[in-house]
Amino acid sequence: MENKSSPRFPLLLRVSRYIRPIVGVIIAIFLAWQLYSVIVVQHNFSADTWVRFGLSGLILGGMYALIAIGYTLVYGIMFMINFAHGEVMMLGAFGGYFMLELLRFIPMPTSANPNLNFLNAYPIVSIILAFTAGISVSALAGYLLEKIAYRPLRKAPRLILLITAIGASIFLQNLAMLLFGPTRKNVINPDILDRGAGWTWMVSGNPVLIPYTGVFSLVLSALLMIGLYLVVQRSKLGRAMRAVAQDKNTASLMGVDVDDVISKTFIISGVLAGAAGVMWDIHMGLVNHYIGFLPGIKAFTAAVMGGIGNIPGAMLGGMFLGIIESIGPAALGIDFQLKDVIAFSILVLVLIVRPSGILGEKLSEEKL
Amino acid sequence: MKRIVVFVMLVAALLLASCGPAAATTPDACKADLGCAVIAKGQTIKVGYAGPMSGDYSQFGIDMSNAMKLAVAKFGDVNGWKVELAVQDDNASAEGGAAVANKLVSDQTFVAMAGHAFSGATAAAMPIYEKAGVPMLSPSATNPDLTTKGSKVFNRNAFTDTDQAKGAANYLFTTLKVKNLAVMHDGTDYGQGLANGVKADFTALGGTVVAAEAITPGESDYSAPLAAVASKNPDAIYYGGYNAEASVLVNQMKQAGLTKAIFFGGDGIYGKDFLTKTGANGEGVYSATLVPPATDTIIAFNKLYKDTYGTDAGVLSAYTWNSYDAVGALITAIKNVAVVSGDNIYIPRGALVAAVRSLKQYQGIAGVITCQANGECNASGPVFYVVKNGQWVAATK
Repeated sequence: MENKSSPRFPLLLRVSRYIRPIVGVIIAIFLAWQLYSVIVVQHNFSADTWVRFGLSGLILGGMYALIAIGYTLVYGIMFMINFAHGEVMMLGAFGGYFMLELLRFIPMPTSANPNLNFLNAYPIVSIILAFTAGISVSALAGYLLEKIAYRPLRKAPRLILLITAIGASIFLQNLAMLLFGPTRKNVINPDILDRGAGWTWMVSGNPVLIPYTGVFSLVLSALLMIGLYLVVQRSKLGRAMRAVAQDKNTASLMGVDVDDVISKTFIISGVLAGAAGVMWDIHMGLVNHYIGFLPGIKAFTAAVMGGIGNIPGAMLGGMFLGIIESIGPAALGIDFQLKDVIAFSILVLVLIVRPSGILGEKLSEEKL
Repeated sequence: MKRIVVFVMLVAALLLASCGPAAATTPDACKADLGCAVIAKGQTIKVGYAGPMSGDYSQFGIDMSNAMKLAVAKFGDVNGWKVELAVQDDNASAEGGAAVANKLVSDQTFVAMAGHAFSGATAAAMPIYEKAGVPMLSPSATNPDLTTKGSKVFNRNAFTDTDQAKGAANYLFTTLKVKNLAVMHDGTDYGQGLANGVKADFTALGGTVVAAEAITPGESDYSAPLAAVASKNPDAIYYGGYNAEASVLVNQMKQAGLTKAIFFGGDGIYGKDFLTKTGANGEGVYSATLVPPATDTIIAFNKLYKDTYGTDAGVLSAYTWNSYDAVGALITAIKNVAVVSGDNIYIPRGALVAAVRSLKQYQGIAGVITCQANGECNASGPVFYVVKNGQWVAATK
């Protein structure tokens, strides 16, 4: 029998306790020095350029955050990573795209403008319809995904669920490629949300364009996040979700229908992914079967960074990742092609210094 | 004793029966290294094409293989044997290129390759064809390095990226009077090669390169790298890459504050796809192309292409005419070396490799093909086109 009070490598343990903060401090000093030299000493970019970087980061971050919440919700409840979540977002983007295309082909001629179509005659209705279409498609996809691919495996080991999720992701991607073709499609917005239009803000004497589509996406994602927070914290469903997340068995003993709660969680994460997909349509303007993959991986990274299972953590992680991606390469004075390297290095660093993520609490044995 | 005599006679008879007639008809040319492709009556002689047939760049593969099918229909008869175009999808990737090459060389009737379409895939596939003795004549693989590696089998009738970069830098500096240039590329062999070439040539001419940025291909948002470029106030941006990324860049340029800069792309951005994806934003964008001036043969070919496929030639990519010529030239070389003997046609692989390399004064529709010792078969340089009223037109200046 080993004596429990004296570990086998006391020295190593004592050293390893100090390694994390030391690594953290060294990296922080290095980053601060690098930032100082790039921004102040070399003065590569003027203030307006930094504002532009920050703006594109915020908009991207909003979309990442919405998708990341989907990962985190499902993880919180089922302890599985739903790798097909990016594809759910892609299907939502297609739903929105087809709705916008459909409305564009409904003629609404007036005496002033004989070429007017529904899209430009009723732009706000059109946008609402596009979001309805995208969100319905994504919510349905999320629901069916859980019903067909994950529910039969409810009692299976978690690794099997993970592999099923990856399989579902590949299946959905290829299905979309077969159905809609491999080329990228242009999304045509109503004129009021023209991608090149926006407010102009003068920063250090240079105009910075704040695009309407970007502000629209950012505001909408903030509203959706507030809505989700209210649902989770205030509603009966939210209470059931939190109960299932804490302990499935006890929750079911208390009269919570666990399967139903899981289904509804997938629908909610589908709704958020669908909204992100239509925002992608409106702001980025290009859709194909592949658009969900990279944002999906990035959002997963964001969810882990913020502390997986933690909803405010996913929001914070998404915003953080979006901003890091657009400011990082410039701030460190390296090539923009390396932005993913920076994003994933940050993930590794967060995991070294705080393995449970920025806002994550210490995970219980079962959740790990 | 008697049994031994019978046995010896049997063996002798077998030997005579098996190798006698065959040895009498196999042409001498097949005794050289690499041997012959032996194609029986009723089989087809296969000429390969590999390019992206699916995905973002599929328009290149579809257009090039369409043009090649027309060439096969016109020239595809070698002493009574039909030529068949074996079209393969290499996804424009190095892995895909090697996989397709391995698949093709396992086919005995596959003798020549009119590809690959993209430089990266070509570089990966070259060693495989080298080993199998399959000559290549690519209409579009333009990376300069491809012909500097001493390959015996690789040839191309596209102008090289070096020529194109020189031409583009000269056009930017002399004709468009650009003083401050920004270069961007997508990090591929092709894009980076072009961008670096333009950067060097433009500096040599006396211009200033104010910014150089690389982007990640396949994304939908390049506002951050564009903002970095915009902060240097360039007169023009040269982009080395393909239309999928170029259209995103062009659409986001104005938002990033690049309202006056000219966008100038390599031959990879030319085509209809760029026009439909950029719309009004695409006006005034320049591109280098291989589109030949309109002569009678070109007009006749364009009509044939339109009648067959329903789209205008050169709308999908700029390599239509070159692709047609590549297959025509390869079939000419096959005709020069093929030997008919008995029921088989013999194509000596070593001789075919040499025949393609020594093509001289082959009169194609896009120009004359004369191969140099390193495999460069195109003497004419790029032509510059510009988008006007939603159409690519020859730049007049």
